[in-house]
Formats: sequence, C-alpha cells, structure tokens
Amino acid sequence: MVVDAIVEFLSPRTLAEVFLRGLAEAGLYVMIAAGLTLVFGLMGVLNFAHGSLTMIGAYLGSLALVATVGGSSGAAFRLLMFGVAVVVAFGALAALGGALEVGLIRPIYDRPPLYQILLTFGVTLMLDEIARILVLFYGLQPTTVWQDVLGTKPAFLSETYGGLIGGLELFQLLFGLLTVVGVHLFLTRTRYGLFVRAGSEDSEMLSALGVDVRRVFTVVFALGTGLAGAAGVLLAWDSAWGASVPLAAETLLPAFVVVIIGGLGTFRGTVVAALLVGLVDATMTWWFQNYIAFTGLPEMTIFLILVVMLVVKPQGLYGVSEVGGH
Amino acid sequence: MYSLLVNSPLSAEFVALLPRVETLVVVLFFALFAMSFDFISGYTGYLSFGHAAFYGTGAYVVVLVANEKLAVTVPVLGTLLGPETPFMLLLVLAGVAAAVVALAIGSVSFRLSGVYFAMITLGFSQVLYVFVRGWDFVGTAPQEGIAVTGPVGGFEIGVPYVDSLTVAIGQLTGDSVEGLLGFISLSPTEVSFYAVGTVVLVCYLLMQRLIHSPFGTVMLAIRENEERARAVGYNTYAYKLGAFVISGFFAGVAGALFAGFRRSVTPENGFYFLVAGDALLASIIGGFGTLVGPLYGHLLDEGVREFLSKEGGGGGLLPYLRANLGEDTLATEIYNGLTFGEAIDTFLNGHAALYVGLLFVLFVLYVPNGLLGTLRDRLGGRVAKAAPAHVRRWFQ
Repeated sequence: MVVDAIVEFLSPRTLAEVFLRGLAEAGLYVMIAAGLTLVFGLMGVLNFAHGSLTMIGAYLGSLALVATVGGSSGAAFRLLMFGVAVVVAFGALAALGGALEVGLIRPIYDRPPLYQILLTFGVTLMLDEIARILVLFYGLQPTTVWQDVLGTKPAFLSETYGGLIGGLELFQLLFGLLTVVGVHLFLTRTRYGLFVRAGSEDSEMLSALGVDVRRVFTVVFALGTGLAGAAGVLLAWDSAWGASVPLAAETLLPAFVVVIIGGLGTFRGTVVAALLVGLVDATMTWWFQNYIAFTGLPEMTIFLILVVMLVVKPQGLYGVSEVGGH
Repeated sequence: MYSLLVNSPLSAEFVALLPRVETLVVVLFFALFAMSFDFISGYTGYLSFGHAAFYGTGAYVVVLVANEKLAVTVPVLGTLLGPETPFMLLLVLAGVAAAVVALAIGSVSFRLSGVYFAMITLGFSQVLYVFVRGWDFVGTAPQEGIAVTGPVGGFEIGVPYVDSLTVAIGQLTGDSVEGLLGFISLSPTEVSFYAVGTVVLVCYLLMQRLIHSPFGTVMLAIRENEERARAVGYNTYAYKLGAFVISGFFAGVAGALFAGFRRSVTPENGFYFLVAGDALLASIIGGFGTLVGPLYGHLLDEGVREFLSKEGGGGGLLPYLRANLGEDTLATEIYNGLTFGEAIDTFLNGHAALYVGLLFVLFVLYVPNGLLGTLRDRLGGRVAKAAPAHVRRWFQ
C-alpha cells in the first residue's frame, strides 16, 4: 500500500504533474505576496488590509471583463481585455492605496509597529463590509464566486496540455514570472527602486541625503496595493479562488505565510518561499487526494510550513533580524 | 431594570437603543475572553493573534464532554468525563485544556517577538481551525460545528452536587426564578446573565489580583523594556510563558461559558482568527492594558451590532425608523430610483461591521488609550479612586 503509493508518486509522469502544478501555485503565491513584501521591506508596515485589496481588485477586474467580453468574443480579444482589467485594477487600487497611506498610516509611523497592524486590521473590516454592501446591492451573493467572470475566460485556458497541466495553470505561471521580472527590474533598474533598496537599509540616512522619503513611502505603498489588485484579477479567472468577499481572508493568510517564510522584507526571499510553498503544497495535495483521507490537511500544510520555519529559522529564509524596526 | 425602562413612556426609543438581555450574556462571556486577550497582549505587549485557539478549545471541551465523546473508564474511579460531569468542573477542565494548548503554542512562539510572535500564534490557531473543521471525531459534520445532542439538561453554575445552590443557564434550558425574597422574578436568560456574570466576575478578580501582584509587575516591565527586565535578572521567557498559560486558561473558561450558554459551537465562532480579531477590537476600544476595559469595549461593539442588526428582535435602529418615519418618507426617492427605505436597508441592515470598523480605526488614530485608558488619564488615576475625590470637590 505505502510502497505502491511511493512508486506511483515517483513515476516521472506524476512528478512532472506535481512539479508543474507546484510552479503554477508558486506563481499565484508570488502574486498575492509581492505587494505585501515590498511594503513591509521599506516601511515596516505589515499591511493587514492586503487581502481585502486583492479582493477589491478581483471584483474591479471582473467588472471590466464582464462589461466588455461577450459570448462571441475571440480568444485574443479576451486576453487583451484581461490585460485591460489588470491595468484598471492596478490603477484603481494604487490610487486607493496611496490615499490610505497618506490619510491613515502616515500619522502613526512614530508609534510602535503594533498600531500599524491594528489600523490596517480596522481598514480590512471596513473594506470587506463595503464590498459586501455593494455586491449585495447589485444582486450578487458575496460569499459565492462571481460565476460570470469565469465565463469570460478564453476556451484554450480551460484545456489540459499533454495530459499534464491546465492552460490556466500555465497562464498563472507565466503571469507570476512576469511579475517577478517586473518587480525585479523596478527594484534594480529604476530610480525609485534604488530609493526603495536604500530605504529598506536605512530610511533616515536616505532622508538625510535629500530624498523625500515620505513620497517614496507613498509610492511604494501604492505600488504594493496595485500589485494586490492585479493578483485579484488573476485569481478571478481561477474557479478555486474566484471573486468573492471571503477571498480577502483566503489570500491574506497565505500571503503572510509566504512573506514570513521568505524573511520579512526581502523580495528574493519571497520568491523562493513562494516556490517552496507552491511545491510542498502541490506535493501534499497529491498525497491527500490519492492516499490520505483527511479533508482538512491540504489547507493545514501551508501553516505547518510556517510553524516549522519559524521554529527552525525565526528570521525566515533570507531575513535579517531588525528589518523595519522589528 | 431593562423591563422598567422598556415600559416607560419613551418605550420605543429604549427598545431601539438598549441591547437585549441575551446580548448582554454574550457580552459577558466574550468580555472575559477579551480580558484574557488583554491580559497577555495589553500587559506584556505580545500581540496574541491566535487567541481564538484557546476560546475554541474551551468551547469544544464542553460540548464534547456533554456528547460523551471524552468519557474514559478508569478501573477504580469508574467513568470519568461522562455527560454527568458538573459544569463547574467542566469550566475548570476547559480552562486547563486551553492552558495546556497555550503551553505548547507559547513554548515555541516566545522564541520570537514583535510581528513574528503575532504571526506564529495566528499560524497555530489557523492550523487548529482547519484541523477541527476536518476532524470527524467531533461530530458527523465537523465543518458545520457541533451541538449538544445528548440528554444533558441545562449546564449548572453554582456549588456542584447541591441542587438548591445551582442554577442552569441557557435560553431554553435555563432555570427561572420566581418570588425570590418575595419580589425578585427572573426569566431564564436573566438568570443566565447573573450566573455567567458571577463566573466572569470571579475570573476578572483573579486576573486583576495577578496583575497587581509582583508577577504582574514583571509583565509590565517586559512590555516597557524587556531587555532591561532581563538584565535585572528576571527570566523573561518563563514570565511570558506563565502569563500566556494563565491567559489561555481564562480564555478556555470563557469558551466553556460560551458553549454552556449557546449549547453549540462551530469552527467559525470558536477557532477562526476573526474571533481573536473581535477581542482585539474590544480591547482597543475599551482600553489596551486596562483589564476591565475590554468589557466596555465589547459592550459598545455588541451594542452597535445589535442596534444595526437585521431582525432587531428586541429593538434596533431599523425597526424603529420603519415604525416612526412614515410611509411617505420611506418611499421618497433620493437617487436614481433608490428610495429612502431601500437606502436604509442597504446601508444599515446588518452591516454593523462597517461602522464598528470605522470606530476602531478612529480609536487607533485618535484615542489609542481606549475609553477607559483615556478616562483614567483625564481623572489622573483609577476611576474607583479618582472619581470620589472629584465628586467630593464639587460638593465642597
């Protein structure tokens, strides 16, 4: 029994399938965690509202998709509109994030880091409830996935290729990769990226050198929330996640886990952690689907990784202690 | 008191404003949970975001024992933990079970500090939440939670095994009191209110005693400057862990009271991390680092929630507005075919979380010490000490 299971798991076909699925999951995890880690690395603010912002992004992007894509639209048009939806969600969420930072978070930078968690936690409560009100008002069920959006997916994404990987998973993998490359280029090739890296090391010194650190904070916060919004659009096409109000909590916790495993505040750590979590999660999911009958365990693995990681190496994979005053 | 106000000339207004007795019972046991949260988070400065784990453990212990799931037969002593176990004993057992969980979680988590501590406790509680949701030992549909199904009557608070000194709690299974001392008559819910209130009061006094003991002073020292506390020679790890275990114990008792009154528990209202979020809300609004503050904080929270609740069985803003505004006002169009009545429905009906969240954000921004903390700052000391002095000054 056990031997059979191991033999089946080690067959090249299964391994390839699990590996690819793990990579696709890593793409998703990197999307939902990228904004969080940028914000924490520079500002030391653990943004509890990140999940809610992802959820709002999912709804906004879905709205753009549902409004433009008709039943007869071609695959290329649908992909194009997906790009438009990502831009819309990114822009709207970045604006919202900038406003949040200026209005609410800026006044409490000098307080203990605890208060920033508390504040963003309160913001989460409000955003979720506002979303619930609006969604209900337009006649949708807030707790179930908005089905119309799934219909705007081009058909080729629903197929399985080589019997191994679904088109959507491939798409998620590519999108995640694109985001990683984009953020990496931003951090290493742009002026603001330079400020962000310098500010993560020592923001007082950066300020002394004549950079308006407050504006850098606002821009990075807006960028982080914008990334959350883009992640939401990607999730809206995935029936396992979908656009719904509980998406806020569902994405927040894995995002935290990924960021903490990677080490708070290092983008490289977050990418590696997303890969680790994605691969372990895919492996465990395979085992639980085929040989171990316990419904809750796949969801538990991600938190078990967190607990094991924090016990073994509290500062995370690439973390240095004392990032952002913690 | 409640019935007096409700039967007064301003009856409709009072019905709308005052929470019902059932809500107040909820406020009591949840306030105990919030106090236990404040005991560790407010006094040592370590944010225990996974505190729901202990509340849920306490609640599940009670229901599992009542459903005969935990009964063990010991050769000499007979069956232990059967459904006949007195509720008072269960309260202690639930507390001890939660304290054991706290010891396990705390011994790992206290290797970390700051944000990491908050996150790892959150991680542990989510592991437990997902585990309980999928564990079919607890009942046939673990995702929907479990209810007391056995032949157990109301859970009794009082002196165990002495019938005349106990009262049963619960909305349907509780005892009612008639003609006590000739003039006091109480409904089952009111009896539950006083019974649960007594347990909460005892627990509060115990925690308050601990806060004002040398042990509590070390907790404060850890909050203010942990390195210095360690340098002075205190084993801060042991003190933090001790405080965490004590806090877990009282959270377990609170959970047991919750299960005893409601007679059911679900993973969502026991173990989910937003349960700890509600305790956090109560602590911040009431006053972080003031032990009794969370009670007022949660009273306010529940008050707002019920004031804006859907059915408003005892009152609430919605039925009040509907009854008193008149048809014409309600049918007035305010925007694009949206009538005033529909607007009320949309923005008020059951959406208290929005307003509570707003309140919470405002408190974090402008009243970081909370209701009680700010009051103490104004009065220049604890209310019980400072208030009489102020009153005396007015009369001179």
